[in-house]
Amino acid sequence: MTSGTIFSIEEFAVHDGPGIRTAVFLKGCPLRCTWCHNPEGQRFGSELMVKKGETSICGTEYAAEDLAAKLLRNEAIFRMNSGGVTFTGGEPLAQGDFLIAVLEQLKGRIHTAIETSGFAPVETFREVLGKLDLVMMDIKLVDQERHRHWTGVSNAIILRNLETLIGSGKPFIIRIPLIPGVNDDEANLEATAALLEGAAGLQRVEFLPYHKTAGAKYPMVGRSYNPGFDTQIPSRLDTEPFDKRNITTMIL
Amino acid sequence: MNQRLDALRSYLLDKKHHAFVKTAAEAGIADLNERFEREGTPDQMRSAIVFSEMMRCQEPVILPGEKIVLTRTVKDVPFIYTDKEWEGIKATHYIHERGTVSNISPDYETTVRLGLGARREEVEARLQDEGLDEKGRTFLESVLMCIDALQDLIARYEKKAREEGESDTAEVLARIRTEGAGSFREALQLLRAIHFAIWAADNYHNTLGRFDQYMYPYYRHDIDSGVLTREEAFDLLEEFFLTCNKDSDFYPGMQQGDNGQSIVLGGRDAEGNYLFNEISEMCLKASYELRLIDPKINIRVDSRTPDEVFEKGSRLTKIGLGFPQYSNDDVVIPGLVRKGYSEEDARNYVVAACWEFIIPKVAMDIVNIDGLSLAACVKDSLPALKGCKDYEDFYCEVEKNIFREADRICAGHKGLYMIPSPMMSLLMDGTIERARDISLGCKYNNFGIHGTGLATAADSLAALKKFFFEQKRFSAERLLDALEHDFNNDPELKEMLRKEAPKMGQDDDEVDAIGTALLDSFDKALEGRVNERGGIYRAGTGTAMYYIWHARDLGATPDGRTAEENIPANYSPSLFMKQKGPVSVIKSFSKPHLERVINGGPLTLEFDRTVFRNDESIRKLGMLVKTFITLGGHQLQLNTVSREELLDAKAHPENHRQLIVRVWGWSGYFVELDECYQDHVISRIEFDV
Repeated sequence: MTSGTIFSIEEFAVHDGPGIRTAVFLKGCPLRCTWCHNPEGQRFGSELMVKKGETSICGTEYAAEDLAAKLLRNEAIFRMNSGGVTFTGGEPLAQGDFLIAVLEQLKGRIHTAIETSGFAPVETFREVLGKLDLVMMDIKLVDQERHRHWTGVSNAIILRNLETLIGSGKPFIIRIPLIPGVNDDEANLEATAALLEGAAGLQRVEFLPYHKTAGAKYPMVGRSYNPGFDTQIPSRLDTEPFDKRNITTMIL
Repeated sequence: MNQRLDALRSYLLDKKHHAFVKTAAEAGIADLNERFEREGTPDQMRSAIVFSEMMRCQEPVILPGEKIVLTRTVKDVPFIYTDKEWEGIKATHYIHERGTVSNISPDYETTVRLGLGARREEVEARLQDEGLDEKGRTFLESVLMCIDALQDLIARYEKKAREEGESDTAEVLARIRTEGAGSFREALQLLRAIHFAIWAADNYHNTLGRFDQYMYPYYRHDIDSGVLTREEAFDLLEEFFLTCNKDSDFYPGMQQGDNGQSIVLGGRDAEGNYLFNEISEMCLKASYELRLIDPKINIRVDSRTPDEVFEKGSRLTKIGLGFPQYSNDDVVIPGLVRKGYSEEDARNYVVAACWEFIIPKVAMDIVNIDGLSLAACVKDSLPALKGCKDYEDFYCEVEKNIFREADRICAGHKGLYMIPSPMMSLLMDGTIERARDISLGCKYNNFGIHGTGLATAADSLAALKKFFFEQKRFSAERLLDALEHDFNNDPELKEMLRKEAPKMGQDDDEVDAIGTALLDSFDKALEGRVNERGGIYRAGTGTAMYYIWHARDLGATPDGRTAEENIPANYSPSLFMKQKGPVSVIKSFSKPHLERVINGGPLTLEFDRTVFRNDESIRKLGMLVKTFITLGGHQLQLNTVSREELLDAKAHPENHRQLIVRVWGWSGYFVELDECYQDHVISRIEFDV
């Protein structure tokens, strides 16, 4: 029996894919994006969290069957509303076996999607891709060095997985967190748009402007928030590189 | 909204028209009651005289830019009895609220169509009947007096309009003084006049019913014949909406804003057509643009209602007025039929001041006559806990208490007396024929009882079932002791009950089945009871202000709730339930047999304002509403709030004069609410997605 760690299950996640959806947050992420607003999703395994003076355990172990059964309770509602389940995190692909086991049980019954950084072994990425209906993938920075600096990892594998995704013809959405002074410059957006030009499965590009409350949860998990950029400057919104390539964009 | 209406809206919000307002005392009519007492005037005539005097003392004013006129300039309606007389009546009668006719749905349609002149002739013809008794004659004469007084006021308005060079307005008034409406504008003006009149007759919670249905023929006629463009029609409709906010400061209610000016859009007819027309759509748009608390919009929907209706409703929800409220024809109509309403009447249902389902024209139901606290019925059963061998045994005790409480409540409704209202009588079916005032009854005379604290009761029972009967984790003594000490002596037990026990709203089949059982028992407890007017009793899931009152006497409860904590308003989860999300909530709350609790009372969902950032999320909210309806939910209201804004508004009311919130079954200005209601709004659950 495969099991995994979940740190939250949210119903009616309106910004995480089509229709009425439940978002499942898998705990643990190999990246350390300095702007991450879900720090409790970064460490693998459970940890203590202090919220409004109350200590609780963040992270619950689920057997794949149990999680699938829980999600299937709402199968009819998902179907009624062109919705489904979105696996997010953390990085859901970091618990690849667990994710695959859950997806296998949902196959053909519930529309499934993933929100991923794309940072995963190519085999895992390919296998999961085959079991999903929709992929939502981040492209944070195209420059490899800058990517390493701001997220802690190289983007080489991410870009390789992006190629796989484009080549698969699977419907996908690209998400770009717009971080002021980090990746909202013209050069980065231009390079990102160029990567996506002509991709048949691409539905749209979604921008997530940086939100000042992003650091709110760090003290709850005993950490401090040091994003390393000026959080007071608003993100620069520039859809031009995408517009000129006829790529639909949307601001969340 | 065009410039004319924008200016009028600001004028009204700044209350500039209050410059024309005087009190009844200033008008010299405040002491009519003393004369009545001296002269022994019958109540029927007292009402007619007070109404006539109210009309006579109105000063015709046409506010800047107005096309639909009539502004109340006498603030308070003189009471027909002296204090001494009223004390005497109260000592020997059951008086509902203020004692005047309220919260029914008048038949505006007939009078707007036939005109006041024709209605007057109808009354006069009836007076020719030599077989009439004295009471009947007095009643019909009182109605004539009211019609005359209203017509006279309209004539004075016409004169005023001519003086001010408003010849179009004067023409409209000249016609509607006697004739039925011949155009959309005339229909709105005549409706305004009648609605104005019943408020001035001291009736309250004067609902507007199926406005989109009875106004549609006039609109259609004007559009088809080229009298009006759609834009012009829309402006007039918007202006009518503004008139509902003109005098509302003077309307009685529990709190400012609780004035019951609800309208009902849509609904399905017997042939299966869904009746959402251009007027329905324009109402949503007008409300969206005006952003005022009146009229409060309800939409009748069902599982086959087109998605776009839910989407349009959600667009209005987004701006935070606390409406539209939705009701489900699939549940409500069969539920009303089950309670003895005819199929045809049930199909025509509307929503009363808050949420109660009522029938226009023919029902003199008192839908909010009392409240039964389900939570108290559970609490009162606790002494029996020790002697019960299992949960089923204990539930029998609870049900017995519900029956006992129903006995007690119903026994109290004896010797009902209502102050006559000849003006309102004119607008209700059969009164002229019967020659009897509407305060004495109509085709339906049913009473409605709110069922409060359902979630508190169900959660308490679920906790007892699981921890006391099944797992035997504590003794009855320990529980009773902890409740008596408000859990101060046993925080561990409080934690277990509060956090580990399942709660209604989490899509937990076991606790939801308890909620279902409680409502079934409530319905059963009222079944077969006949009130003194020959009507039946209807169980409901609303609370009105009882959610504050009943919580005060309740003490701590076995769901881990402390004595000072509130119980949820209406049909909603506990205020401290650990949220799984809105999908679980609508699943839990659509499980009970809601056609059995047809007095109404909505599930309330509150969302953080940030949820609706774009059209896609608004569409999804529409889907959520439709899902609740498809699952068999009966009624739903939604609110978008921002906790920060509410807290700031409490601290700095001067900066938030326009902040609107849904209170229990109506929307009002947050800063005008008493603190206990403000705090309840703040503590209610909110989905932050």
